[in-house]
Amino acid sequence: MLYRTSTLLVATSILVVIALSSLVMPNQAQAIPAFARKYDVQCTACHTAPPVLNTFGQRFLENGYQLPGTEDGGTTGKKKLGDVTLDDVGKYLAFRLVGNAVRSWSFTQQNPAGTDTGVAQNKTELTFPENFTLFAGGTVMKNVGFMVELGHDVEGGGAEVERGFVSFNNLGAQDLAHVRIGKFDPSAFYSVVTIRQQLNEVKESLSSGCNTAYTPCSFNRVGLAPSAFATKFYGLYDRGGTPLSPFASSLYNSGGEIGLDVHGRPFGKAWLYQVGVVNGANEPFGDSNKGKDLYAMLRYDYAQSDYFSATLSGFVYHGNSNAKVQTQEDVNWHRYGVSGRATYQMLDLYAAYAVDRINHVPSGVSGAFDATATGLTIGADAYVTNETLLSLRYDNLDAGGILEQRKSATFIGLQAKQYLRTNVAIFVRNDVNVRKSEGGEAAARNLRNAFFAGIDIIF
Amino acid sequence: MRCQNLVCGLVLLLALGTSTVVQATKPEDTAATRAQGQVLFERTCLFCHGATGQGDGPAGWFLGRYASPRPRNFTAGSFKFRSTPSGDLPTDQDLFRTITKGIPGYMPSFASLSEAARWQIVAYVKSFYPGFRTETPVPLPLVGAPTPQLAESLDRGRALYTSFECHTCHGTEGRGDGPVTQAGELKDASGLQIQAADLTRPSSFKNGASLPDLVRTLLTGLDGTPMPSYAARLSDRETDAWDLAQYLRALSAESVP
Repeated sequence: MLYRTSTLLVATSILVVIALSSLVMPNQAQAIPAFARKYDVQCTACHTAPPVLNTFGQRFLENGYQLPGTEDGGTTGKKKLGDVTLDDVGKYLAFRLVGNAVRSWSFTQQNPAGTDTGVAQNKTELTFPENFTLFAGGTVMKNVGFMVELGHDVEGGGAEVERGFVSFNNLGAQDLAHVRIGKFDPSAFYSVVTIRQQLNEVKESLSSGCNTAYTPCSFNRVGLAPSAFATKFYGLYDRGGTPLSPFASSLYNSGGEIGLDVHGRPFGKAWLYQVGVVNGANEPFGDSNKGKDLYAMLRYDYAQSDYFSATLSGFVYHGNSNAKVQTQEDVNWHRYGVSGRATYQMLDLYAAYAVDRINHVPSGVSGAFDATATGLTIGADAYVTNETLLSLRYDNLDAGGILEQRKSATFIGLQAKQYLRTNVAIFVRNDVNVRKSEGGEAAARNLRNAFFAGIDIIF
Repeated sequence: MRCQNLVCGLVLLLALGTSTVVQATKPEDTAATRAQGQVLFERTCLFCHGATGQGDGPAGWFLGRYASPRPRNFTAGSFKFRSTPSGDLPTDQDLFRTITKGIPGYMPSFASLSEAARWQIVAYVKSFYPGFRTETPVPLPLVGAPTPQLAESLDRGRALYTSFECHTCHGTEGRGDGPVTQAGELKDASGLQIQAADLTRPSSFKNGASLPDLVRTLLTGLDGTPMPSYAARLSDRETDAWDLAQYLRALSAESVP
């Protein structure tokens, strides 16, 4: 009881300080990100609530960072220097600083078997700033866009190019084909987009035994991310032998894969197609994959009037030697998914379901490996006032993989976000383990509750 | 004197021509033009204004959420940005100007569309309201000519700002923080709370921030908002509107074209 009271006191104090410091910021400090600056509009022209896009924002993204129905990449916001037209730097650059000022973990047992001593225990951490993203994006010229996102994860350490690609748009005819080349998020046009979530992904904590290639890996703490997008399998490794987290977004729902992607609307404004080829699960530059992974997605949009829109999507992702098992044998890891989203005024409802399947389980693990796993994510975001956004998400992961290790997980997360300004929000969030009563020492059961309080700044 | 007025009028016309939008070659308002406009509208405008032009597009709610503004309802026949008297429909050129320039903060400029495309959209937007078929909107004549930003002009403008009680909404220093605004009493025609413009930030003026833009806004008002037309009160002296516009400009250090 004393522990909970002190946690709440610390969290409340920090939020009050953040709120007050934001309120006394001078008006001139208020700003909006790059595209909003470029087009002189507020964030909500394209977003329901950043980073989630509304229908106008989706079409802007599809069109390679050009206004829907236009090819304005060569003119809007540009300055002419000789035969080159350039955006002002301020219209290219933006950053997002999002992080939990406080993270409070509550476990059923102290340091259960498999965890590192002193890691899995009830504790409150001060972690701000947790994640920092710098991005540069826009258009080079008419129908040529680009985006580079450099992310720094304080917990994971180091910085990396999370996404970096060039897009060639309106090839052949308007909306016939848009091509992206580079490291991109394949699910950018799916009904529920991996990197556009109100409840941010919280990474798992691996035990120190996971540092050796192809060794069994246990968790100090599970990750909190949309289950439909997750890897779902215990005991999978990338081609370098590094374990793949069952909770990390992957394949079609990866935050960044290297490859080539084509999308368009040649069958009318209601239908969007997408096909692509990528290196595969967590493949770095210098692909060591034996083959390439292929995917295709089809989406139906209803967007007419009454402040209402709805989309339905389905995809097939075909992996080709895109992961390994503990015996270092290749597997073909596939995913099939459906998702839907509906917005009506202040309410944004979404759901995604995915089935992951590994064909031809290698003989080395045969009999000890479940080749099928599923993930379900259902959520809702709702503005209850002009400045207050409530978000709810349910995640159920029916895990596959090594039978001895796998443990399914079900979490419900609730978040309240208060916008102090257009671009500054504070939030509190609580995730509850629905399966905690099932007991056991596995991380998916041991974590009982997680509380977060943080800040989200987009500039 | 008449000759002087004629010269001033010509100068004014030139200023308006350069400060707003170059008159484009306007296609005939035919069924074919409207059909082409519909295709463009459904690619670019539908998301906010809705398929039936009622301002209820799938993305429209998020602009102001529980407050003003919402996208324009073209079927209601009430338009904010006009050169015509309050309550009248806008001219084609008014609609063309809004599409071309956009609305700072809320609607991007669609100047990247060809002029022909923008005129086609104008033709289609007009088809949402039957009144456009029967009425011929006429712009308000702008009297007088821009006054230089001299102390006397600013003094007269300041006096008008006070006598017209602009400060009750826009505040004494023009920061949009007048007592009526602070009390949350400003509402638009649909009952949504609305903020008075911060006159110290002319780059955010929705109807333009050049001197002719300001005079036009003062004369026509912004229909559907609490901003009334001051045409009747500004018709006494030819320089009044320009003096007040100069004073509004002087409230900010921002450079305005």
